[in-house]
Amino acid sequence: MKPTATKSAENSAAALDRILATEEELLPSSGFLASVMERVQEEAAAPAPIPFPWKRAIPGMVLAVIVLGGGAVELVRISLSAAREISLAPARLPAVVHPVQDAGWVAAALGASLVCRMLSRLLAGRSGLL
Amino acid sequence: MSPNSSSATEDLADVERVLAGDAAAFAGIVRRWQTPLVNMAWRYCRDRGRAEELAQEAFIRAWRGLAQWRCESSFSTWLFALAANVYRSELKRFPAVNLPLEAAPEPSGPALQHHALAEKSSQEAVRRAVLALPLRYREPVILFYFHEMDLAAAARTMRLPEGTLKARLSRARALLRRRFPKLEDEQEALEFSTATPERRPNLEANRN
Repeated sequence: MKPTATKSAENSAAALDRILATEEELLPSSGFLASVMERVQEEAAAPAPIPFPWKRAIPGMVLAVIVLGGGAVELVRISLSAAREISLAPARLPAVVHPVQDAGWVAAALGASLVCRMLSRLLAGRSGLL
Repeated sequence: MSPNSSSATEDLADVERVLAGDAAAFAGIVRRWQTPLVNMAWRYCRDRGRAEELAQEAFIRAWRGLAQWRCESSFSTWLFALAANVYRSELKRFPAVNLPLEAAPEPSGPALQHHALAEKSSQEAVRRAVLALPLRYREPVILFYFHEMDLAAAARTMRLPEGTLKARLSRARALLRRRFPKLEDEQEALEFSTATPERRPNLEANRN
């Protein structure tokens, strides 16, 4: 930077400092103190906020933690055993081949789905939606 | 910026009384700090009514949070930092009406007949332009000059490292200088036109 440019920048900064540093002091209005104190007195007179009912909440929170924690542990246990079964699967026959009784449950589920679908169509047809 | 040096002990005594349940003792704190807090708020919004509202809100927040002042910093540092937080968040919710920096009027030239008026108008244009700066640059400028150019005090109020504040301040000044390139000439012209005939040769020599 040229010396004149540097000097100009310095002068300009000094001018800015002079302007921004010299500001007339503003006096608060005469009622300011009273209005602040009025609000403070209001706040002081207001009843204290109701505290959070920790005594009642803590047993519920503990129960929730136990249930969620137990659920998580159970989920991990089931996933691990399922993973173990999958890894052992080639050694055994596929599960779908074996239990014939499971086919009954599958058929029942399919039947229930079919009934639900038919019932919903019937109701929709009666109400003129179809 | 503090009312006086002995106020620290008075502040401490008043805070203890308030915490002991004497709400009226808070009046002492308000009495001592109302002028600095209103002036600080004025620099944030340049609107007298709004400044008082903001300062009042700052006092109420101070009242609610008085127990949080741990005496690690001075009461004034704690109060100014709290007030700056209040002003910043309140002005984010309801911003002051400001012109963009480019639209800030140029300072009026010394062609105005009344020199004092011309000077005042020119300076006010620059001060209003501060409010048009982006917030990250505006606040350092406001607090640095509010604290009478005490960088450490401004940094404490903003809870920022001094280096960061200094960098932002420097950028803010550069933006303002770019917006008002003739600032120095205007000021010199005003000084020259208002100087006594005996002083004019000296001013002329300084300009050259």
